[in-house]
Amino acid sequence: MRYLLLFVPALLLTAQTPAASKKAVDHKALSAVSVAKNFKESGSPTAPVKIEIYTDYECPACRDLYMNTLPSLTSDFVATGKVQLLHRDYPLPQHQYSRLATRFANAAGAIGKYEVVANQLFVSQPEWSVNGNVEAAVAKVLSPTDMEKVKAMVKSDTHLDDTVTTDVAMGNNQDHLTQTPTIVIIAKGKRDVIGGGMPYTILKQYLNQKLAQ
Amino acid sequence: MKRWLLIAGRLIIAGIFLYAGYEKVREPWLQFAISVESFKMVPETWLEPIARILPWFEIALAISLLPGIFSRWFSLIATGLFAFFLFIGIRASVKGLNVDCGCFGAGHSGAIDAEWFVEHVAMLALGLAVTVGEFLRARRPKESLLH
Repeated sequence: MRYLLLFVPALLLTAQTPAASKKAVDHKALSAVSVAKNFKESGSPTAPVKIEIYTDYECPACRDLYMNTLPSLTSDFVATGKVQLLHRDYPLPQHQYSRLATRFANAAGAIGKYEVVANQLFVSQPEWSVNGNVEAAVAKVLSPTDMEKVKAMVKSDTHLDDTVTTDVAMGNNQDHLTQTPTIVIIAKGKRDVIGGGMPYTILKQYLNQKLAQ
Repeated sequence: MKRWLLIAGRLIIAGIFLYAGYEKVREPWLQFAISVESFKMVPETWLEPIARILPWFEIALAISLLPGIFSRWFSLIATGLFAFFLFIGIRASVKGLNVDCGCFGAGHSGAIDAEWFVEHVAMLALGLAVTVGEFLRARRPKESLLH
């Protein structure tokens, strides 16, 4: 039983570690962030609930969310005017091709091809995340003319990363992201920051409760 | 076992459960439901009830441990929970699941790694020690007021 004494300081330390490392999630009511209408936004601007999704094109859990959860979310909530959706970029530093993929998606957005390229980047993620050939993946879904425009922007447009910088700053300073994907559900001015991929069924339950409030 | 040591152990267990429960109830229930889902142990219809009830149960258990009434039974329940959490962690590791335990809320790393196992084995050991101590103390004859 004397050995129990050894556990006491150890347990106190382990129990306090989370508090030290914990980034407090501020759930106090915040006014909904107004974001100018852009190609990463979909759904009605007057929707009672807004969802902001932070993703990294090279993150497998983000791919899973994009491919398995987002289609149902879009058809059931976004297309019906209940939810407005906004994609935010949060390229993680440990993913070496993520920044480049983000530049391709945003360049495609500038010529009205964001959805098709973002979709292609997630679908083909297993290939380009290994070989690094983002350009080849994007070229499969764009016409040669569009591809030339996108390539030129990726190469030289200095403002292509502006929204990424804003998104990352917001993720760090306001939403205190600890992982991707992270979704922020904004209802009645309150931001609920929820990290991690999730099955659509529980997200649906949660959104229906938010909408019923 | 020294009485003060039992009290200290019981208070530490109460503190652990109070902290774990508090960190979870201050987050949206969906956050903990995602953690529960990652263990792939329960049907999706159970996720919301578990995510809503378990954190409050942890807080209630912590509060119940404080006054020292029925402490052997509350210690036993706490130890059972520690054992269960360790079991599902081992199960997730064996199955190779990418789990976020959500034990102390989303801000605390919930990865099932060596640190997680050390933490949970230590908590289980403490729970066992306190439970055994409480049962032994309960079996001891009470001192007569006449002596």
